[in-house]
Amino acid sequence: MKLLSSFKKELILASRGFYFYVELIFALVILVVLLFAIPQNFSSTSTEYLHFNLPQEGREIFTNNILENDLDGESEIVEIEAGGKTFNAELIVTDESEIYIVDSEEAVRMLADSEKVIGAVIELNNNNQLHYKYYLQGYESTRFKNLISILFNESTDVLEERINNQDVRPLSTDYEPLSDRENTIPPLVAFSGSLMGMFIMASYIFLDKKEGVIKAYAVTASSVWQYLMSKIFVVLLTSVVSGFIIVMPVMGFRINYGLLLLLLLTTGFFASSLGLLVASFYKNLTNAFGVIYLLLIIMMVPSIAYFIPGWDPFWIKIIPSYPLLQGFKEIILPNGDTIYPLIVSAGFLAVGIILFAITNIRFKKTLSV
Amino acid sequence: MIEVEGLYYSYSNDDNFAVKDVSFKVAEGEIFGFLGPSGAGKSTTQGILTGLLQLQKGNASVAGYDIKNISRKMFNKIGMSFEQSNVYSKMTAKENLSFYSKLFDVETRDPMELINLVGLGGKENMRTGEFSKGMKHRLTFARSMINNPSMWFLDEPTTGLDPAIAADIKDIIKEHNNKGVTVFLTTHNMYIADELCDRVAFIINGEIRLIDSPKNLKLQYGKKLVEVEYGQDGNVKKETFSTILQEDKDLLNKIIADKEILTMHTKEATLEEIFIKVTGRGLA
Repeated sequence: MKLLSSFKKELILASRGFYFYVELIFALVILVVLLFAIPQNFSSTSTEYLHFNLPQEGREIFTNNILENDLDGESEIVEIEAGGKTFNAELIVTDESEIYIVDSEEAVRMLADSEKVIGAVIELNNNNQLHYKYYLQGYESTRFKNLISILFNESTDVLEERINNQDVRPLSTDYEPLSDRENTIPPLVAFSGSLMGMFIMASYIFLDKKEGVIKAYAVTASSVWQYLMSKIFVVLLTSVVSGFIIVMPVMGFRINYGLLLLLLLTTGFFASSLGLLVASFYKNLTNAFGVIYLLLIIMMVPSIAYFIPGWDPFWIKIIPSYPLLQGFKEIILPNGDTIYPLIVSAGFLAVGIILFAITNIRFKKTLSV
Repeated sequence: MIEVEGLYYSYSNDDNFAVKDVSFKVAEGEIFGFLGPSGAGKSTTQGILTGLLQLQKGNASVAGYDIKNISRKMFNKIGMSFEQSNVYSKMTAKENLSFYSKLFDVETRDPMELINLVGLGGKENMRTGEFSKGMKHRLTFARSMINNPSMWFLDEPTTGLDPAIAADIKDIIKEHNNKGVTVFLTTHNMYIADELCDRVAFIINGEIRLIDSPKNLKLQYGKKLVEVEYGQDGNVKKETFSTILQEDKDLLNKIIADKEILTMHTKEATLEEIFIKVTGRGLA
């Protein structure tokens, strides 16, 4: 009854405050970005600028070879601008590239410079042999440069044969990847839905400290843990609502919302308990800002590993946001592992309970602060 | 109702004590004034007795509950009005009191009754963030009565209030005391202490220097003199008489009988004068 009354009071305060709406508006902004700014899949096509400084016959052979891969089998005459000049170009669009064939080396050089992409000039040398000149950007790896070199020192037939003979075996055959848009959901939900709770919780406590109402609560027959838990309930509510605002419109009914709810609740409990613990050491948000900021930065590091699968050192896995991100990913994967989010939820719940118990003791000792 | 013995408290957990060897008892139904300047140790002692500060050394019990292991049930019996108003500014006066009324296991008072009692009737639906300092203070005072406390801690209950409202607050305190409520009054205002308290304790630098009733203190430290101004031959004359010497008593009676008395004052000491005499420093 006391807990319920405290929860109702916290809801009234939150609804009349600033942070409650900040989190929800933030979730709506993320949703708009997800739906209208982030494409379903990021484009992987590259742009290349070529010039054939060859006799008409040679130029046609090269052009026709490339044209065979054009999506509609026809090139298009376009005008492109670079360095204040306009150049005519023949555009050939393949699955992997947009290839612009321009009519001068100057155009290749200026376009490579202004568009920051690779340009190439194919011409004949003094011995009437084909000569390839590349305009690179300077940041290309040695491996890439070696690859370009080997292309012209080895028979293309040999290269093709070797590539075709490579034995590629997928480790999992029932794995369905997420679209690029779906793949961005876990970090966004993790930070706006769960980890933001840490900051919001600390803010709520500092507001109460400023008004001195914690002392007033402390001289009632209600326990400190009920006061703290009622605040956690409000943070969990906003975490769940903002999490669902982000996930539902993008994922529809394709995922297990029970699991999502569980993970949002347990990770939100962990984050808000951490926020409470931090708030118990400081008098106001200004004093605590450094620690909160540092914790948020540390929590954000695993999102780098999330987007760079090849970079996954051990130490990153012990940062709590790592399993948090992977847990959310497993939930939205079409064939995701349902056990993993359960294990992660149990872990966050256990750590959250420990943090909450420590916080409860801290608040009992520091009520006059 | 309150028993304190050998109480010590240090904020820095060393020998720099904010409260040193404080001992006193407060009987049931008594109004006990804890008087001293800012930083004397009044609020620290009250903080320990209300569980806001943890007991470090010594023994204390409030309303029959040992402060070493405070039971939440104790708070059903005590009320606490803070010097600094501490109400939820985003909630109305009524919402504030309604919320606190649900945090006790005993029968609580109607929020509206308390709001009217402290003169905030008509403002019950106003958010307290829009209240003046005095209005917030009255609401904080009203909240301390929500659970019908038998032990009432009041920290500077009339600070910042205009004289008329302060008089009303004093009347409320007296009225509750007449019904048997024990009051622990912390203040640096000697006038309110003089008017309300059965006994007062002077505390300075964390130590209690003296405990007695205001009347006894005045008798002990006041001068036994009467100062009279009277008219004689068209002039105003001023004389001081001893209330002990028979010769002076006779003279005073004669003046009262024959002359026109303009003013007459006993020269008893105020609590503030006694405090300065006892502690060697003022209350500011």
